[in-house]
Formats: sequence, C-alpha cells, structure tokens
Amino acid sequence: MTAAAIARPRRFAIPSWGALLLVLAAEMTMFGITSPYFFSWDNFVNIVTTVSVAGIIASAVTLLMVGGQLDLSVGSGVAATSFVLVSLSGTNMALAIAAALVVGLLIGLLNGLIVTVLRVNALIATLGTLALLRGLVLVFGHSNYLFITGFDWATYRPFLNVPLSVWVFLAAAVIAHLVMQRTVFGRQTYTLGSNPVAARLVGISSRRTVIGAFLLSGLCMAVAGLVLSSQLASVSGGTGTGLEISVITAVILGGTRLSGGQGTIPGTAIGLFVVAVMGNGLTLLNIDAPWQQVATGVLLILAVATDQWRESRDAA
Amino acid sequence: MTQAFLEVRGLRKSFGEVEVLHGVDLDLPAGTVLALLGENGAGKSTLVRILAGDHRASAGTISVDGGSVHFADVAAARRLGIRLIHQEINVAPTLTAAENVILGSWPSRGGIVNKREALREAKRLLDDLGVDIPLEARASSLRLGERQILEIARALTGSARCLIFDEPTSALSDAESELLFKLIRSLRDRGLSIIYITHRLDEVFKVADTVCVLRDGQVAMNTAVAATNRADVVQAMVGHDVTHRDRTIALGTTPARPPVFELRGASSGIDFVDLDLGVSPGEVLVLYGKVGSGIAEAAEVLFGARRLDRGALILEGKPVRFKHPADAIAAGVGCLPGDRQSQAMFRPRSVAENLAAPVWRAIARAGLFVSPTSEAALYYKWHDALHIRSERKPEQLIWTLSGGNQQKVVLARWLQRQSKILVLVEPTRGVDVGARQEIYRVIRSAAQDGRAVVVATSDYEDAMELADRAIVMVRGRVVRELSGIELTTQELTRAAGRAAGEEAVA
Repeated sequence: MTAAAIARPRRFAIPSWGALLLVLAAEMTMFGITSPYFFSWDNFVNIVTTVSVAGIIASAVTLLMVGGQLDLSVGSGVAATSFVLVSLSGTNMALAIAAALVVGLLIGLLNGLIVTVLRVNALIATLGTLALLRGLVLVFGHSNYLFITGFDWATYRPFLNVPLSVWVFLAAAVIAHLVMQRTVFGRQTYTLGSNPVAARLVGISSRRTVIGAFLLSGLCMAVAGLVLSSQLASVSGGTGTGLEISVITAVILGGTRLSGGQGTIPGTAIGLFVVAVMGNGLTLLNIDAPWQQVATGVLLILAVATDQWRESRDAA
Repeated sequence: MTQAFLEVRGLRKSFGEVEVLHGVDLDLPAGTVLALLGENGAGKSTLVRILAGDHRASAGTISVDGGSVHFADVAAARRLGIRLIHQEINVAPTLTAAENVILGSWPSRGGIVNKREALREAKRLLDDLGVDIPLEARASSLRLGERQILEIARALTGSARCLIFDEPTSALSDAESELLFKLIRSLRDRGLSIIYITHRLDEVFKVADTVCVLRDGQVAMNTAVAATNRADVVQAMVGHDVTHRDRTIALGTTPARPPVFELRGASSGIDFVDLDLGVSPGEVLVLYGKVGSGIAEAAEVLFGARRLDRGALILEGKPVRFKHPADAIAAGVGCLPGDRQSQAMFRPRSVAENLAAPVWRAIARAGLFVSPTSEAALYYKWHDALHIRSERKPEQLIWTLSGGNQQKVVLARWLQRQSKILVLVEPTRGVDVGARQEIYRVIRSAAQDGRAVVVATSDYEDAMELADRAIVMVRGRVVRELSGIELTTQELTRAAGRAAGEEAVA
C-alpha cells in the first residue's frame, strides 16, 4: 500500500474555479482602474442585485445540468409566472402568489414529462416550451404592459443596505447547494448525469430524478418571477427574454459540464459574477447595452469551448 | 505460389511499457485462408490492426509481394489491397444496400457522383459474391448476415488482395455462417488471401488451409490444417504450463442445497434459447462462453436489465419479474456489468460516492440526507477489507485508480448492500494481474459467506479459479456442464470451441 502501488498518479487538474477567479480578478482590476466608482459598496450591491433573478434560476439549473439535462424555458417561464401573478394581484395577493408558484411547478412538471415520458431531448423539449410559454404570455397579455401595485417587497433593504431580492438569491443558492451535496436526490442527480447506464444498474430511477430536477427549475422560475415583478412593478411580453442565455452562460462558466455529472453552486456563483461584473463595468464605461449582449455571447462560447477542452483532456 | 503475398518477420508491438507482441513471424500466400486463434489478450487484434495500418509496429518488417512496406495509416494498407472487416457490423442503416457497398469509393467526375455507374459497380460486386440482395433496399431492413455481406462487398472495391475477418460469425445464425464460409472459399479460389480470426474450432477445420495460434504475443503454432487436430490446437492455445494446473479451490465441496435463483426454459431473442440453470447459496456458478454465446445476455436477465421472451426467472422457488434493475436490486441481486467504464463507473465522481451509490437511501438520515461522514466510514471499511490501492481518501476521484481497484470499488457496492445473489459479468476484464487474484479471493469469500454467485465470463482463467460448477454455452445453447475433476482448461476450451448442437464427446 505504498505510493508505488497507486497505479495512476492524480493528473494535474486546473481547478475550474481557479481559472475563473483569475478572470474575475482581471475584470475587477481593469474596471477598478478605469472607473473610480467601481470599487464601492453601493456598486457591489448593484452588481449582486442585477444577478439576483438570474442567480435564483441558475441555482436550480446547475442541479438540472449536473443531471445531464438543460432548461431553455426559464426566461419564458419567468414571464408566464409573473403574468399569472400580476393578472391575479387585483383580487387577492396571497392567492396570486400561490397561483404563480403552482404555475411554475406545472411548467417544471410539463418539461419533466416531455423529457422522460415522450423521451424528447431536453434541449428541444425546453426550446419548445420556451416558444410555447412566450406565445401564451403574448396572446393573453395582448402585448401590453400590466402593472402591479403594492408589491415592491424585493426592493426593501432590511440589512446592510442589501435588497431582499439578493437575500432570496442567497437562500436559493444555499438550499440548492445543500440539496446537491447532502441529499440522496442530489447525489443521484450527479450519478445520473455522469453515467445514466450505470445509474440504472445501481437502481436509480432516472425518471423520478429528472422530473424532480425540472420541478425545482420550475419552482425557481416562479420565485424569480415574484422577484422580477416586484422589481419592475410590471410584466410584459418581453419580460425575462434572454434570461436563459445569462443563466446557462453563468452555469457553464462556473464549471458545470454540459455532459453532466460535474458542477457546483459556488462555481455557478462565480460564473454569475463574471458575467455581471462585465456588464456592470461596461455600463460604467458608458458602453451601450447591445454591446453587453455581444460580450455575453463571446463569454458563452468561450465557456463551452473550455468545457469541451476539459472534457477531451480528461477523456482516455 | 512460392512467393507469399504477405510476409511478417519479427513483429513487435508495445503499448507504453507493456510489450504485447514479442516477435511474430507469419506467411500468407495468395489464395489461402489462414485461421488466427488465441485466447483473449493473446495479441490477435493487435496483430491484424498492425497489418491493416491501424496500429504501427514497434519493430519488425512487413513485406507485400517480397517488398518491404511501411503502413503509415489505414489508407496506406488499403492501397496495397489489405482490408480489415471488423467484428461489429458497420453499415449506414439509412442508406441503401448499393450505397453501403459503394460508400467511400463513389465513382465521380469533377465531384459529381455518377449514380448509375455506382449502382452498376455495386451490382457487379454483389453478383461476384453470388448473393441476391436488393440494391435499393435500406440497410436497416436487411438481416445481419446480409449487412455483413455488404461490408465484405465494400471491402472488395478497388483492388482488394487480402481480407481480414475479425470473428465474423459471432453475431450470425448458423445458416448465415454457412453462407459466409462458402463466400470465403470462393474468394480464396479467386486468389485472395484471407486471415480469419475466430474462437470456434469447428470453423477452423471448415474454412482454413493453415492455422496460426498466438499465445501471450508469440506464435505457439503455425501449421497446415490437414496436419493437425483439435486437441493440438487447444493445447497450443492454452499452453502446457496451465493445462494440468490444479485448481486452487477445494473440489467437490459444493453444498447440496436447493437453488435460490433459477432460469427455466428461458429464451431471449436469438441470444439464448431454452436455458435452464440454477445457483445455490454458497456456490459459484460460471457461465462460460465466447462473445455471442449468450452468457452476457443471460446475466442481464438475472439482474433485470433484459426481459425474457419465454421461460421464467425463479427466486427462492417463486417466479419473479424484474421490470427494472431496481427490482432486481430490491430482491437482493447485486450486479457487476461487463463494461466497467460505460456501465458501472461514475467517472467524474469520488470513490466514496461510487461505492455508496446503491445504499444512499439506506444510510441517509430520514432517508433523505446523506452525510459525507457515514459515506466515508463505508469507504474506509471496504478500502481495508478489499485492499483497495488508493490514496485512502474518500474524495479521490475513481478514474485515478487502476482498473483492478476500480473493479473492487464497484464490487464493494453489492457486498455493502449485502446482496444475497451476485451476478458478475467478466469480473476481471481490464484488470491488472495483481488485482486479479484479489478479485478472485473476494468473490470466493463472498460465496463462502453464503451468497449465490453467478459469473459470466469468456476468460478460462476466471472459470478455473472461481467455478464450483461451469456451464459452457455456444450460440445461445448450453453445450456442456462441468464440475469437479472434469473441470479443466482443456475441457472448457474444447466445449466452447464446439459448434452448437454438436454431440458432446468426452
């Protein structure tokens, strides 16, 4: 049992967060030099606030992608749950909130059933529900802005001048982390993502695990919808458009494998900040918002390219 | 005919530190069929892959028509007329028969394919083979044997001079095999050289002119088929040193207890037919057979990964139905699938998680929360009990372990779960020599603890080291049952090399 008996030495592995933290540090140094306002508590709170909606969703999507799945419908799902909330808010707020949460869970259930029962690949299944939900919001919302009053809870700053939306994000991230690392369900999600055949042969039900993961994703859409409606005090046909891009960019940047089986919440958190700091810095430099989209696109491609590179390096 | 088409001299091949071919000499005259035999790992595949340009030799020479050649890649070997037909049948299912034949050598002018000429060429090749396959039929609608013929026809495009078949009959029915033999003889008569890899002795005597046996990377026999017999071939394959080796387990101590787990009249597709077997607590039953014999498929039924078309699976006297491996696991069956990498391991995960996967729910608090400490405790227990060579850290990633140690981790899953029945497929495949003996020890002690163990293997050493009783299968049928002093390497190899249905000759 000496060192010589160990057949293969552990290969040098670049920790996926390590490289990413470097990117984050580089970004911060650059923006810190170019903008004096960058390193201030207010600006930090700003950054965290802008990622809170994407962060809530990314918490569930990390788990989903670790299980080898994908959810493109999150942006439309946020719009749909927000729409339900705002539409019903005139009658009874508690009922409206409950309805939004139920709708979120139903969206998750629908995605899960399409993937497991109809065996449609998750990419296509959720691309379908992305279009479907967005279409429904536009049909029933008649492409108008709907407003909600007395629902600005997410903007309250009870502690450290940090708004409630950020605390919700923090709670979602911590819960997702514990679910992934400490529950049977979380463990099974990792095994399913890393080898579905082997998971089946140790008695893990892929159907139950996948539906569970989509349900969590749906629930997080609804919670994100509650936060976003509160921040905007309104909903429209364009609410949440493109959210799936920032979420998936952050998750992949954070070291989650596209093929599943690997990924963590702390990684995703760093991924979120890399995207958000970039957006924030570009705004401070007065660069137009469309350019930020261009930058996000570049980041997404870089993230997937590094993922592929890591995969091919670890194969064999 | 004095000049051999292909001459191989002193061929060596190493992978990393390990030399797998230690100087192989081979002559292949035009118009002859050479049967290449050898146990798993003897070096057959490596040798033919070098000849087909897929691997490069470390030392030695290859000559074609007397001139020394150097194959940089598969294309170079193809240009000299050497074609390898792989064991797995590779046809494009959505293309037609004709397209599959012509695939890769489309007749074209300036990049535009001449479809009529392609059809004519495909028809000519298939007609030459004397087969009648509709040219416009989609490959997916053809039978396995027909698809293989498409591959042979494809290999004959251009100027083929030597065809290498790698266990071509492993997936074919008897009638299809007969057709293939006829085809091979006619190709030989047209002056082609054929190398024919097989595990089946009867095929050697049916189609081959010369026989070459590889053992441990060296030529153990190279002679005309007419000048030898089965017993000598078996002897050459197995080697003198292991022929009369005593089995290390005590013989004849099998407890006469009723079987706990049985298959009765079980059939599944063409993989196995009318199979009866039973295993008792404390017994190791080996299902021995080559690829395509049905042993792996029978094992799959036992652990719920495959359903029966006919017959019954009986657990403790009662018929059971496993819809999912989870049902088998709940009933107390533990399984080690045949391909560790693709079917058993969670490659990017830790050793502890890989071990604990089937018992998470059992060790979790309230059935929900897994604590890393309890997982680590399991890991330490089995790490020490099975002598798993690792850093002794539960969070070490499993892929950093050697094959044998990975296998021990996967085996420990079921020991931890206290499965009453273990179904192990190729338990020592891809396992280093040192770990092999330890895995044997673990399996035998699992049986001594009163478990019923079924081992499906194509490795005679597994059978010799483990079996209280061995059932030999050929093409989905049981041809021989061996136990006690009858269970020898020679008997096993002889039985497995026999054609299905052939009478047992003691």
